Amino acid sequence: MELLEFAVEKALELGASYAEARYEEKSGTHLAMKNGSPEGMDIEADKGIGIRVLANGGMGFASTNVLTRESVAEAVKRAVKLAKAASQVRNEPIEFSEEDFHRVSYKVKMKKDFRDISPEEKLEILRKIEEEVKATGINVPMRYLMYSDQLWKKVFVNSEGAYVKSKIPRVSVVYNLVVFENGQMEQAPFVQRAFSGGFELIEKDEPWNWAVRDVKALKRLITEGRKPPEGRVDLVISPEVAGIAVHESVGHPYESDRIFGREAAQAGESFVKPDMLGERIGSEVVTVVDDPTIPNSWGFYLYDDEGVKARPRYLIRNGIINEFLTNREYAAKLGGRSNAAARAINYNREPIVRMANTYLAPGDYSFEELIEDIKLGVYMVSFNEWNIDDRRYQQRYIGREAYLIENGEIKHPVRRPILEITTRALWSSVDAVGKDVEFYPGTCGKGEPGQGVPVWMGGAHARLRDIPLRRP
Amino acid sequence: MFELNEFILKKAEELGFGDVVVLSYETNRRQVRFANNEITVAKHWHERKVELFVEKEKRIASTTVTELSEENVERVLKTLKKNIENLSPKEDYYGIAQGPFKYKDIPETFDKAIVELDEPNDYVETAINSALSEGAKRVAGVLYTDHNRLYLTTSNGVEAFDEGTGIEISVRAFVGDLESGHGTCSARVLKKFDPELAGRKAGEIAHMARNPVQGPEGRFDVIFDPLAFANLLSYMGFMLSAYAAEAGFSFLAGKLGQKVASELVTLKDVGNLPNGYGSRKFDDEGVPTRETTVIENGTFKTFLLNTSLAKKYGTETTANAGLIMPRPWNIVLEPGDYSKSELFGEVKRGIYITNVWYTRFQNYVTGDFSTIPRDGIFLIESGEFKPIRNIRVSDNLGRILSNVVAISNEPFQVHWWEVSRPVITPYVLVKDVGITRATK
Repeated sequence: MELLEFAVEKALELGASYAEARYEEKSGTHLAMKNGSPEGMDIEADKGIGIRVLANGGMGFASTNVLTRESVAEAVKRAVKLAKAASQVRNEPIEFSEEDFHRVSYKVKMKKDFRDISPEEKLEILRKIEEEVKATGINVPMRYLMYSDQLWKKVFVNSEGAYVKSKIPRVSVVYNLVVFENGQMEQAPFVQRAFSGGFELIEKDEPWNWAVRDVKALKRLITEGRKPPEGRVDLVISPEVAGIAVHESVGHPYESDRIFGREAAQAGESFVKPDMLGERIGSEVVTVVDDPTIPNSWGFYLYDDEGVKARPRYLIRNGIINEFLTNREYAAKLGGRSNAAARAINYNREPIVRMANTYLAPGDYSFEELIEDIKLGVYMVSFNEWNIDDRRYQQRYIGREAYLIENGEIKHPVRRPILEITTRALWSSVDAVGKDVEFYPGTCGKGEPGQGVPVWMGGAHARLRDIPLRRP
Repeated sequence: MFELNEFILKKAEELGFGDVVVLSYETNRRQVRFANNEITVAKHWHERKVELFVEKEKRIASTTVTELSEENVERVLKTLKKNIENLSPKEDYYGIAQGPFKYKDIPETFDKAIVELDEPNDYVETAINSALSEGAKRVAGVLYTDHNRLYLTTSNGVEAFDEGTGIEISVRAFVGDLESGHGTCSARVLKKFDPELAGRKAGEIAHMARNPVQGPEGRFDVIFDPLAFANLLSYMGFMLSAYAAEAGFSFLAGKLGQKVASELVTLKDVGNLPNGYGSRKFDDEGVPTRETTVIENGTFKTFLLNTSLAKKYGTETTANAGLIMPRPWNIVLEPGDYSKSELFGEVKRGIYITNVWYTRFQNYVTGDFSTIPRDGIFLIESGEFKPIRNIRVSDNLGRILSNVVAISNEPFQVHWWEVSRPVITPYVLVKDVGITRATK
């Protein structure tokens, strides 16, 4: 992209010590169906260039979607001017870590290219969910379904020799289903199935089966659900619940920009401090990994938005805090190299420190082994409500589908068991981890203006001992 | 950009589309972010784009066009046509508003001084310094300036223009790791912008919040600061949309005409509010924005509607289009008659929550949710404020609204990272609010 090279050169000419330019182009289709009626279609077509510079130790960013030399030059001028002005209100200059850069191009292949598929055929996926849910005979009065595909192209260049071109297609289905039986209402909201790759992945995943499983579980919860046990019991969490827990209480607090206070006024800071590297935060069996390179994952990338090559990051290894998620700015502060966690959601956003695919690494227990010696406990399969404080220490997850465990056996459904616990207690309570890993998609929110990035969350089943479980 | 709008409309009509809405934007937005008393990044966005909505025999589609050449616009229209021709119709689509309409200027929504403002960093320094002078050690936040132009043309005779400005700051001050306070100020005109006040509030609360102890759990009378109550009302804003109710995202579904809140609660959406950060002269189909009372003395009066949904339910639009999904402009909780000190005087033992975040629902249709207080939290006992920490509001939105027992007489505009839809609310006292905490 000649405009990108032009932008970088122009920024250096104007006095920037570092410059990067990123072209992004997104195209795709979004379809929705509400209570059986198609809601129309949105065709996404967006492109533009973002320029980020360092000048006099300050950082400036400007973007434009008018792709002419004049407009790009104007954006570069603004970015440099903003950086210089910002440098006047700094205690110390911003520096970036030294990195090896490459000239590379990569793409995720689609076996079934969604651009060749008609909107009506895509709508069939949602229709199939409608039909299969209806076929259960369960009363589901509110049904909201969404299909989405997007081809995301990027070209990144910087003043240190990086050139990274990528093309990543993404495809997803989201559903909200409200079950109404016996005068009671239960809900599976914003349940998503999502991949990077072609249409074949969503077909193979058969989201209608997930929807049917959810409405059956909700009906059973209404008709057979009882109160969960209260007080100290053992708790087995599914890969889905383990996924949200590692995302919220491991991934987020290990983001180095939070640790150093850059997100303090928005997503907050972190209970984790730089000198906690090497400190124990969980039991021996807890290892948490964030890996952007998992093929076909929702959070997939091979080079981050600062041009640094991605690799798996071991955030917790055998219960010990092992590494933080970094970009170049905070890698420099920590005295190391970036582990390629800088992501931007579009050309008009700065890259900031993010997760990709975060998971609880597998142990060696079968599911049967996890529950066989539990006298009284709960198996939490999925969750609805969750939240965590802005230092990432006090969290809560409320089960949607959950069951009583009694004398090593799964029994009846239990209603809304509440896990409300500190991060240290949560990970210190894990005494066994399952063998098999599963992933669940989500959109991770952070940054201002907001940057919802696609991530996978997941891992293996985990058994937590002596948990103070609550009822609503 | 009206020429471009007209061109798009003409080409769309040539291609046989029925309803067509062309909404063009020209935006200039500037941001200065700061943390640890220094600027972390400064940004500028310049964008021109056209949001396009087309209908043909109840088949509807929308897109955003950023490459505005005539060739590309024609290409986009042809793509839309090709794609919707075989698409199933939206059976409950009933059209867009019939124009033309007359529009009134909304006072205090445009200020040339904001357009011409060269360098906003002084405001950032003012906010940081006022927080520091109250005893804060570290200050973080963000400042924005906005300048937007909107051009709307529809196939039903609407041609409308609006130009607006804005400036706003959000300031969070810290004394230690656990002690913080937050203040914001959003204004459409420079003379109403007070970064010093936002910084001072953040610094004051952070200073008051020193040495917090673990908070209690149970049911408490709670005073919600405007920042905190705005968060709840902002989530409620989405639930006021008829679309959200149909899709299973609103606890107000099926409750028209019913009591959903305490007598003291009158809630409005005001699209033409002077100085309102969400104010606009017209909605996305060109209907002049107005004041709509959604809850009157506790009774739920109406969902927010566009023309199509209004026709579906046999009523009038509330001028809240969104062509697919109606949405609020500025959510306004009517003030009560308590002074702030009288309101606090009502509480013998209770909790003052200055801010919340991470509001999440277990069930949107029943309204069960929790949210996390952040920044200063205070246990009020015999007129004393004792800083506490690590608690959670775990309750039900309908219950909270029904348990409102007092509202102060001075409203504040809140619009920041956690409150994306502007909310104007006073301090609110709610009885018997569920408070929980982690016990391990």
